[in-house]
Amino acid sequence: MEVFSDFQCPACKTLYLATNRALMDNYVSSGKVYLIHRDFPLPMHAHSRVAARYARAAAQIGKGEAAEQALFQNQEKWKQSGDVDGTVAAALSSADMTKVRSLVKLGTLEPLIDKDYSLGQTYHVNQTPTTVFHCKGQTYPYAGVMSYEILRQFLDQLLSQK
Amino acid sequence: MMQSSPFTPRRVVIWIGRLVLAAIFIYAGYSKIFLPIVHPHPPVGVALSFFAMQVDSYQILPPWGVNIVAHTLPFAEVALGLLLLIGWRLRIWATVITLIMLGFFVAVVRSYALGLQINCGCFANPEPLTKWTVIRDGLLTALALVMSVFAYQEARAPHPWSAPEKS
Repeated sequence: MEVFSDFQCPACKTLYLATNRALMDNYVSSGKVYLIHRDFPLPMHAHSRVAARYARAAAQIGKGEAAEQALFQNQEKWKQSGDVDGTVAAALSSADMTKVRSLVKLGTLEPLIDKDYSLGQTYHVNQTPTTVFHCKGQTYPYAGVMSYEILRQFLDQLLSQK
Repeated sequence: MMQSSPFTPRRVVIWIGRLVLAAIFIYAGYSKIFLPIVHPHPPVGVALSFFAMQVDSYQILPPWGVNIVAHTLPFAEVALGLLLLIGWRLRIWATVITLIMLGFFVAVVRSYALGLQINCGCFANPEPLTKWTVIRDGLLTALALVMSVFAYQEARAPHPWSAPEKS
């Protein structure tokens, strides 16, 4: 499952908090589903690219999940203030945050974000969140938020395919 | 010699409505059941579960309601499209199709007004719900409504082949 997401988009927050966390607990941790976060920062969101940089940097030191959770849970605060750094810093240790800041400053993350964005364009992604499901050579693009209950049924159907 | 049926504007509208809406309903149902955009084609169960997610994205129904709609609507669309094409009990099926179109239109307008970033789910292709979707659904709903009203009016009018009433 590839989730094209924008940290500043309210629907992406809903998808993450209401659906994808339960998905991670029940399908990803057991190895049934492989979930990939893809950055798709929309130009209309002033701070989403900065947030994507911090989340990527945190992921590179193994703290991606903590940063992602902090960014989505506190979305209303930092999208007003623009304080992405402070939001991520509150969720990580000071040593980890130092590493994250240095990675962000290096500027090597930008091409990776652009690569995800380009990949989204090949799938004709034009809104966030868009989830692209891959199973047995099939590709299912889906835009919007789905409840965990309904997603679970779809995944069970996909996984039961022979 | 037998006279042919007069070509009135009312009958033309009914025929256009029947052909257009039947084609759309049959294709919409078929595309939800068989997901022709996905290769290799998935089993029907997978396609209907995928459609259930599209229904769910409108955030109107609880999960049990989503499942009922997702597992019955595609088959109902195909059946109603065929009935409309055949023309058997036209007034009844035209009315049912009009009510379904009204339901779709309300759902689409509500989602557009709420700014939900979702796909229409009308057909198999991932089509974003935009103002054009709202306009298209509005026009099709209007066509269904006019077709139904005209079908009732036509049923009340004397048939052109019937014998003239005795005075």
